[in-house]
Amino acid sequence: MLTQFGATAESLSKASTMVFRIGTDAHLYDDPDDVSIAPLLDSKFESEKCEALKRLLALIAQGFDVSNYFPQVVKNVASQSLEVKKLVYLYLLHYAEKRPNEALLSINYFQKDLGDPNPLVRAWALRTMAGIRLHAIASLVLVAVGKCARDPSVYVRKCAAIALPKLHDLRLEEHTAAIEEIVGMLLKDNSPGVVGASASAFASICPNNFSLIGRNYKRLCEILPDVEEWGQIVLIGILLRYAIAKHGLVRESLMLSFDDRGIQSPEKDDPDSDLTVRKPFNGASFDVCTEIADIVARSYLEGPDKYLARLGHVNQDSIGLDGSCITSAKSNDDVKILLQCTSPLLWSYNSAVVLAAAGVHWIMAPKEDIRKIVKPLLFLLRSAGSSKYVVLCNIQVFAKAMPSLFSPYYEDFFISSSDSYRTKTLKLEILSTIATKTSISSIFLEFQDHVRDPDRRFAADTVAAIGLCAQKLPDVANTCLEALLYLALSESSNNVVALMGEEEILLVQVIKSIMAIIKQDPHSHERVIVHLVRSLDSMSAPAARAMVIWMLGEYCNIGVLTSKMIPTIFKYLAQCFHSESVETKLQIVNACVKVLLRAKVEDMSELRLAISYVLELAKCDLNYDVRDRARVLKNFLSHCKGFNYLEEVDNRTEFNDLTYVFAEYLFGGTKKVPSESFSYRFYLPGSLSQIVLHAAPGYEPLPEPCSFSDDETGHSPTNVHNDHESNEIDDSDEISGSLDEENTSDYSSGSVSGEGGDSYIASDSGEDEEAGTLIHLSDDAPDSRDHDRVSVNNSSSGLMDSGELMSKRALESWLNENSGSGQNSSNLSHVQRSLARISIKDIGQLVKPKSYTLLDPPNGNGLSVIYRYSSEVSKVSTELACIHVSFSNNSEEPMCNIFLAEEKPIPSPDSSEKSGSPSESVLVSHDKEATLIPMEEIDRLNPGQTADRVLQVRFEHHLLPLKLVLSCDGRKQQVKLRPDIGYFIKPLPMDIESFLKKESQLPGMFENIRRCTFSEHLNQQNDRDEPPQKDIFLMICEKLALKMLSNANLHLVSVDMPVAANLDDLSGICLRLSGEILKNSIPCLVTLTLKGTCAEPLEVSVKMNCEETVFGLNLLNRIVNFLAEPTQ
Amino acid sequence: MLQCIFLLSDSGEVLLEKQLTGHRVDRAICDWLWDQILTQGESLKLVPVIASPTHYLFQVVREGITFLACTQVEMPPLMAIEFLCRVADVLSNYLDGLNEDVIKDNFVIVYELLDEMIDNGFPLTTEPNILREMLAPPNIVSKVLSIVTGSTSNVSNTLPGATASCVPWRKTDLKHATNEVYVDLVEEMDATINRDGNLVKCEIYGEVQVNSNLSGLPDLTLSFANPSIFNDVSFHPCVRLRPWEANQILSFVPPDGQFTLMSYRVMKLKSTPIYSIDNIAVQFRLPPCVASSDLSSNYGAVNVLVDKTCSWTIGRMPKDKAPSMSGTLVLETGMERLHVFPTFQVGFRIMGVALSGLKIDKLDLKNPLSRPHKGFRALTRGGEFQVRS
Repeated sequence: MLTQFGATAESLSKASTMVFRIGTDAHLYDDPDDVSIAPLLDSKFESEKCEALKRLLALIAQGFDVSNYFPQVVKNVASQSLEVKKLVYLYLLHYAEKRPNEALLSINYFQKDLGDPNPLVRAWALRTMAGIRLHAIASLVLVAVGKCARDPSVYVRKCAAIALPKLHDLRLEEHTAAIEEIVGMLLKDNSPGVVGASASAFASICPNNFSLIGRNYKRLCEILPDVEEWGQIVLIGILLRYAIAKHGLVRESLMLSFDDRGIQSPEKDDPDSDLTVRKPFNGASFDVCTEIADIVARSYLEGPDKYLARLGHVNQDSIGLDGSCITSAKSNDDVKILLQCTSPLLWSYNSAVVLAAAGVHWIMAPKEDIRKIVKPLLFLLRSAGSSKYVVLCNIQVFAKAMPSLFSPYYEDFFISSSDSYRTKTLKLEILSTIATKTSISSIFLEFQDHVRDPDRRFAADTVAAIGLCAQKLPDVANTCLEALLYLALSESSNNVVALMGEEEILLVQVIKSIMAIIKQDPHSHERVIVHLVRSLDSMSAPAARAMVIWMLGEYCNIGVLTSKMIPTIFKYLAQCFHSESVETKLQIVNACVKVLLRAKVEDMSELRLAISYVLELAKCDLNYDVRDRARVLKNFLSHCKGFNYLEEVDNRTEFNDLTYVFAEYLFGGTKKVPSESFSYRFYLPGSLSQIVLHAAPGYEPLPEPCSFSDDETGHSPTNVHNDHESNEIDDSDEISGSLDEENTSDYSSGSVSGEGGDSYIASDSGEDEEAGTLIHLSDDAPDSRDHDRVSVNNSSSGLMDSGELMSKRALESWLNENSGSGQNSSNLSHVQRSLARISIKDIGQLVKPKSYTLLDPPNGNGLSVIYRYSSEVSKVSTELACIHVSFSNNSEEPMCNIFLAEEKPIPSPDSSEKSGSPSESVLVSHDKEATLIPMEEIDRLNPGQTADRVLQVRFEHHLLPLKLVLSCDGRKQQVKLRPDIGYFIKPLPMDIESFLKKESQLPGMFENIRRCTFSEHLNQQNDRDEPPQKDIFLMICEKLALKMLSNANLHLVSVDMPVAANLDDLSGICLRLSGEILKNSIPCLVTLTLKGTCAEPLEVSVKMNCEETVFGLNLLNRIVNFLAEPTQ
Repeated sequence: MLQCIFLLSDSGEVLLEKQLTGHRVDRAICDWLWDQILTQGESLKLVPVIASPTHYLFQVVREGITFLACTQVEMPPLMAIEFLCRVADVLSNYLDGLNEDVIKDNFVIVYELLDEMIDNGFPLTTEPNILREMLAPPNIVSKVLSIVTGSTSNVSNTLPGATASCVPWRKTDLKHATNEVYVDLVEEMDATINRDGNLVKCEIYGEVQVNSNLSGLPDLTLSFANPSIFNDVSFHPCVRLRPWEANQILSFVPPDGQFTLMSYRVMKLKSTPIYSIDNIAVQFRLPPCVASSDLSSNYGAVNVLVDKTCSWTIGRMPKDKAPSMSGTLVLETGMERLHVFPTFQVGFRIMGVALSGLKIDKLDLKNPLSRPHKGFRALTRGGEFQVRS
């Protein structure tokens, strides 16, 4: 019943996708922005949010930038619906780096989700949180990862392992050790899934920290077959590198075959050698191309670039290959187990796993065991079609170094018409490498078929392969030559008229191959040359003609036949010289000289006639190359001619003319040119570099053999030079740079620029003359000689307490237990020297909170509204911030019914709004609207009159402005109330001891420090006449305190001054302030420490300790901003 | 590690992009690739690894959709390629085939799948069974529901139990009303007949496909009557390798539903009686120098396309005559005779026979709740069956 329904449903669904596309997201992709997305995001219904998010996703898919929706999307992180969550995460990860500050807003939700009972929610939260990649939250993420690495759910642990590289990408030095520790822990995990993921983390974080592997080596080998395929790929590579770093190369392996030649394989004298009888082998059965194998081995160890650079000058034995770093696969258990555990993986259905396993055997297995990898590799060519090309590239290297491995399987490299062109050429190359006397005939039969392939480029490549085979196996050279000659003749005759560009390629290649074969033994192939020369007339491809003429000149004296026909040929060449291409003409001219130098021709006069005719023609050629060449050669010949005359009668005693020597040098010798063009670049099997044939960034050759030993506690062997590393560092620098920029700019747009726009009214009431009385030197730090001891005690007792007094709050419960101890000591506690504690009394009277304009008279028809945050705390609810609002009537007429209210949910299109940041323009009301306690209406405001009201507002968000509607005389006007995070806290009175204690409980991730410069004291100094030195200290302390208290609702706990300090040196002044967050009464501790002298801007380091990290960070940013900005 | 994945339509349009790491890849890279394809020809689409000026590109083309992945650092290229293939498989499975429209219509699911399949450039969950549990594939029920109620979620609320089990490819608490398991031998015959009419190569590439609908945690053993004929094998991860090494027995806990248990190659063929061959089709491409053609056959239908691809559908072999095709080809002017010859690709189907001669001995089920229904089938198709002329 059920299945039946399923069946119809499926067939129907096919129909629907074809015809109707109903119920899909098609319309969303096609017209993602045909409705306004913003209101949907704020909808009460999950389905509407979902739709909005899908529309955003569609825009992302199509490459549009929709990062301006970021603030609204972030809010939806809190959604309970997993689908909304998932979509938000997708969006968030796409833009987090662009909008770091807003991304920070989501952190609290992630932290909440990390404690969720549903492992899926925990995993997603971790993945996304780590994916945001902000330096500011790195320590938070680290703690989260550490916790998740101990999660009961395998899936979460796996995600933790994958999150580690994200953290590592940020390149924060201070976290390196902690990250590696977690990697080590995860590598020990019981679940293969986790081990696989942590292997990938290991490989990208600390690939040379072999001590982590050493501890688990055996277990990792054993678990390898159960690890997921992707993890296997990486883990195999790690184990291989470890085995080499620990034990060195294997004596019997291919890597040391070069040495074998000298040592004469020790097995031969080995009494145990009868054990190897199971498979009788003689030397030839795995004959290794030692020269190439040696290059391969050295390239693997050193990287080809380094190796090649060294190749020229130094004796080759420098690294790794001396006897001390050699082990044996038979006696070494670690090597044995590695080979054992990787060999079943050769049956994997994932081609990458097979190739990785094959690579281990290639490098580590005794030569006679390498053949194990052959069949699995060959099977990949059929079973994993997409991987074919890459597998072939690797086989090509294997075959070059050890042709015998693959030579019995030549049929597997026969070309199928469905292969891509590149695959075909690779197969041809491999075939010509592995061809043997026995297989060559079948291979030739195949080649002959390919020559007639419609793809002429491929046919030409086949011809080239035939040439290579013939050079490699001289026995078959004659057969090849016959076949090629036949081909050349038929090709040239076939295309007398229609010779398309494509056809030329083949003929040229045929001649090229013939030339290469003849070069090896010209004397036995005279007949071929004659044939070719005879068919010269029917060849039209210039390159082919040029080559035939070259052969004619080069081999003009090898036999009777050639000598006989030379005069005729030159007559023919003279005849058609004018119509030849430049390339051919040059060769003809060259041939002239060669013939005159060498040929033993009977009828010289006729030949000379023809040649001089040709040279005359050439001298007047249109092409200057030809002309120049002809002139030079003519000069030679003026001597050679004479030489030729006389040679018949006399010996060449007196002809040591210089030109003759030149001519002889240039054209006489039959120089042996190394014919094999060979790619000497070898990279590790299975690597990307091997495919692209250059070292890709991050490519590392094998570690130096035996560079790692267990007792070594250090991490990396000395030779580890890491391109990758330096690359990444550059990148991260860039990132952090831009991050910082964004940090400041974004914050200033959020709060500071707001102030710039709104008029800022600060009142500087003349308080300065009272400064002396305001500040009392207290003997709070009692025995002034024992300052040191006291302060040290303070901080150290804090350290001790921290272990016991760790608060067990919500966040804490999932944090790992010992997170506190590691990062406990705060930087600033060390700064303490001899300090005098001073207290600034009555400063509260001086505090004048900053005022902002809500509405200025021109915009409000004469009504001006100014507000300032008050330090009072609302009686109604702790979540409300109190704001003093002053309404003043600057117009001539009275105003009625002035009233401030919440904006209605339907937003007006406020594009005309002069707001700076894009986030504001899309900002509309939230479903949990920031509530406003209804304000008492002002019935009437006469001209010049001012009325004050207290507004109690709950800001949903501590960075985003709140829109209000101001009605006056029935007119409505939209105004924006800017939140000031400095007033979302209230003073938390405490004494210095409890402050320090609290501070010590909030180390590590709860602590953030930013620096800024404070220069206000400079203005003051300039304004006034030199006040006494002492006062500068006090004045600055007071200035700072005032600044702090005027901008944030904090309690000034203490002001510490260094006593023994240089009079001018302000370094060490330390202000402590405390507050608690209105919403949840979580304390925020602020510590300002100064550095610098009176005469220059001070460097203020602001430290924030707060359990609610994000709030703390935002408040910290705010403090830094207002400290840096001048008071008017 | 991979930095970004793009899906491109066959006209080069970027259907969607998924950034994977902090190092973002601009989609301009797709334009670069497409320019290269336009200048170097379509054959570039078959090159799986390309080094562009800024990134290394990996591509897999499936049914006209290009799956493109980018990286800037060393990584195993096959890992990228295999992963892209896996993505293509999963998408094709979810969406009932691949084409531009179906991807656009279901882009949200594609995104959700990609997000689950890869994290920070490293594959996360690629097991199709688990993915299906985490993200429901689109089907008519959910579509109708979404129209009626306006909302459904395809995102599962719970983590599939299999992620924690030691058999991650299998749901933990499966219940089927009917307990059944079907084993199909699907073989493809690869053969090459050269221009002289000699058989150069003849071998079988086969797959053992299992469709399992079993409750609980069944443990199966499958043995063959003649395992010695296997030349090469590769296995699904569920197969335990030790029993195979020892006795050539397949012992496994199957995933639910259809999957490929093993694939193999048999190179020495014994003659197997063949009863009926059908779906015979011949395909070839006329050489480029042929200007026009007029081909007809005495049986079946001949169809020549613009790109000179010629297909001849024969179907079942007629009893009374040998099918033949004849006609005239007109060469381009100046050509005297045809000097290049096409290769004919032959397709066919033989039902009920595994040409390799492979025989299943028995299929045992340990810890059965009830006796399952077992079924076996065999089928041979033409694989790379080529006749050169």
